[in-house]
Amino acid sequence: MIMSEKSKQHVDSCRFCWMCHHICPIGNATGQERNTARARALGISLVNREAIDLSEIMDNIFECSTCGACVHDCVTGWDPVMFTKETRREAALEGKLPDYIMSLVANCLETGNAYGKTTTCDRLTEAIKAHSAKKDTLLLLGVDAKFMVCEQALKAVKVLDKAGVDFTLLENEPASGGQLDFLIGAANETKEQMENCAKTLNEYKTVVVYDPNDSKAIKQLYKEYGVEVNAQVVTYTSFVAGLIKEGKLNTKNSGEAVVFQDPYQLSRDLEETEPAREIIMSYAVLGEMLLNRAETVWAGNILMAQYMPEIVKKVASRRIFNATSVGAKKIVTASVAEYASLKAVAEDVQILSLEDLILGE
Amino acid sequence: MQYQMNEFLFAMVLTELEDAVGKENCSTRAIDRVSHSVDYYWLSRMWADRGHRMPEADFVVCPKDATEVSKVLKIANYYKIPVTTWGAGGGTQGGAIPVAGGIVLDTKRMNKIYEVNTEGMYIECGTGAIYKHIEWAANEVGKATMHYPSSLTCSTVGGFLAHRGIGVVSTKYGKIDDMVLKMEVVLPNGDIIETCSAPKHAAGPDLNQIFIGSEGTLGVITKAQIRIFDQPEERRFRGFLFQDMHGAFEASRELLQKFKPSVMRLYDEAETASLIKKIVGVERKGAFMNIAYEGVKEMVEVEEKILLETFKKYGAEDLGSEYGEKWWKEKITFFYPGHMMDIPQMFGTMDTIAPYGKIEEIYWAMKEAIETNFPQAKFIAHFSHWYEWGSMIYDRFIVEGKDVPEDPVEALRLHQAIWTCGVRTALAHGAVVNDHHGVGIKLGRLMKEQYGPAMQVFEGLKKSLDPNGIMNPFKLGL
Repeated sequence: MIMSEKSKQHVDSCRFCWMCHHICPIGNATGQERNTARARALGISLVNREAIDLSEIMDNIFECSTCGACVHDCVTGWDPVMFTKETRREAALEGKLPDYIMSLVANCLETGNAYGKTTTCDRLTEAIKAHSAKKDTLLLLGVDAKFMVCEQALKAVKVLDKAGVDFTLLENEPASGGQLDFLIGAANETKEQMENCAKTLNEYKTVVVYDPNDSKAIKQLYKEYGVEVNAQVVTYTSFVAGLIKEGKLNTKNSGEAVVFQDPYQLSRDLEETEPAREIIMSYAVLGEMLLNRAETVWAGNILMAQYMPEIVKKVASRRIFNATSVGAKKIVTASVAEYASLKAVAEDVQILSLEDLILGE
Repeated sequence: MQYQMNEFLFAMVLTELEDAVGKENCSTRAIDRVSHSVDYYWLSRMWADRGHRMPEADFVVCPKDATEVSKVLKIANYYKIPVTTWGAGGGTQGGAIPVAGGIVLDTKRMNKIYEVNTEGMYIECGTGAIYKHIEWAANEVGKATMHYPSSLTCSTVGGFLAHRGIGVVSTKYGKIDDMVLKMEVVLPNGDIIETCSAPKHAAGPDLNQIFIGSEGTLGVITKAQIRIFDQPEERRFRGFLFQDMHGAFEASRELLQKFKPSVMRLYDEAETASLIKKIVGVERKGAFMNIAYEGVKEMVEVEEKILLETFKKYGAEDLGSEYGEKWWKEKITFFYPGHMMDIPQMFGTMDTIAPYGKIEEIYWAMKEAIETNFPQAKFIAHFSHWYEWGSMIYDRFIVEGKDVPEDPVEALRLHQAIWTCGVRTALAHGAVVNDHHGVGIKLGRLMKEQYGPAMQVFEGLKKSLDPNGIMNPFKLGL
């Protein structure tokens, strides 16, 4: 397998290192040895030594959420996410992607989203029409909210409406490239999607990005890919926290105790942990799970649930266990993907979005 | 197929195992077999590094509790299939490698935390729980497990029990075998048993201690009650530099008759000049020693006074608290790739233990034996777990990559020769085969040399509990 020297070095270090065994949300949820950075590295190292075929490890390569908990935990700076994504790219180039991944990639290329969706719910369609006029500010909803969790997209819109923000919604939002980056890494197709997206974003003065996965892509990955964005890009959470500070949203603390599920894209990749907390503390009493902020544990997403739904459910259930272990009854999310994952398995706890708190719904 | 079985029988056994643990928890896929074929044992790593696949299990099963383990063991017993228990694979002695094929029984689905009991001061958990996870559970209620080995994040409760692990604050709080109240064990015939409800009693021999350290050869430990402790009000550190190790031994022996620090780590001059210089920043000739003492604040004050007075008598230079605090912060950093020895180097930790009258002599004898017989090897050591009666040596040999044969069999032969030389020397001077990494396949051959006719006690237990010899074959010398 063709692999960069840097990735090979990381693979050969991680293959015999167990130190991040405790931190992988998927490994912890499944209890499977293969769901560890070292097992993945060992598999890749054996492919590099022609002792095993790439096709025999590909399922495992796609069992990684790329949440970066292992990268964050490593004191030496080894990066299992880097070599995992590079392996995905090489598998794509060698035509060795599993069929279930290939169909998601094909959807991304055809429709801009891995789900192959082309229409949103009626109410969102109406909201988009109502905000179709060109303004200085664009609210980028992202494919998860737009096509899979429509009610949250509507709430995101409603919050900005309530604050009197003048903004545009696009009927044909460009794909950020975040999903393709996850599926096939730094391939040409991924960069093309990002460049296309950047072109649209650059037509606006400010872009408010609702989905943390898109925020990570645009604010962090675009730089790595060499894609330039001139617009001011802000995360939805920091934008809304700003609106509260400016007094544009009414706040009333209900006194309810909640904990916050930090999306890793914000807390680890973009180092943004406090705006969501500022929002929560305006409406409720914030408690913390033991693993919070940059130490957060990924709680599942919609994309991986397309091909490993049971594992994603286990991941979400385990995170709920973390919350209930500190006595939490309500978990607030800032990621629509985690909201959907947690909601799908929540029994004795209530899952809320930041918008739910703000709107009192 | 590793274990001799025809295709028809293989398919039959697979369906029975799937029935026992669920289809999704039973695998014959290459990635699962490969993942369970290489542990932290240098030989398994070297083998994989040279592009060879280690012996693999035929089936990887992940039971969720004792009932499912029981079902697996009954199947294995009926078909006489080897069963190797795997925790998280962080062992250094090859104890978890399925060298005879058959079934690997991965315990990590048995990771449930059943109870955090702050009255009885224990956590009851499945033995597949990563130890760091039960530490987190203890921290959530303001307590701590006080079991902090470098492998805290990468080993299971069962793994530590299987090979008698130890953590850095052991001098005050004890080894893993001191941390257990009660256990649930599945015997090789599938019977599920429980040990006594309290670890100290006069109801015959200690059943806990029969299974702790048995490395999966006598059964599978599936559940344990693990002690937790109050967080110390205060934890203080003090670094010292001794002119030589003899003074450090004398001072430490005297100190331990007065009180028990939590951390006591003495580094020989070679390790002070290498690892300690690199990680902690002490660039001085001599033997560095780090001491931590902790607990109720008033007692810590008294202990500090005793420590300073005692060590001063033996000429120790007080380096203050800075190095000790840095060491505490970096205590696991030592073991990450880039800081730790790694392939292409050949290395091993020949940890051993002995009373004070012998320990120093053992250190010098092992150093001489290794460096004389294997001039390509460097010998470094520290002494990290201390008792009123003696201490352990964490001694390591390191052979630089240029001196390690590329041929895997030749590399294996050199590795075996160095180990045999080092451990035989230790035994000849009154030490024990191992202190806290266990025996596995690496040191099994030396168990009879250690125990002589006493080995028949272990062999009798093995024969009685596991008459078909299915449990972790070729490990522990059984």
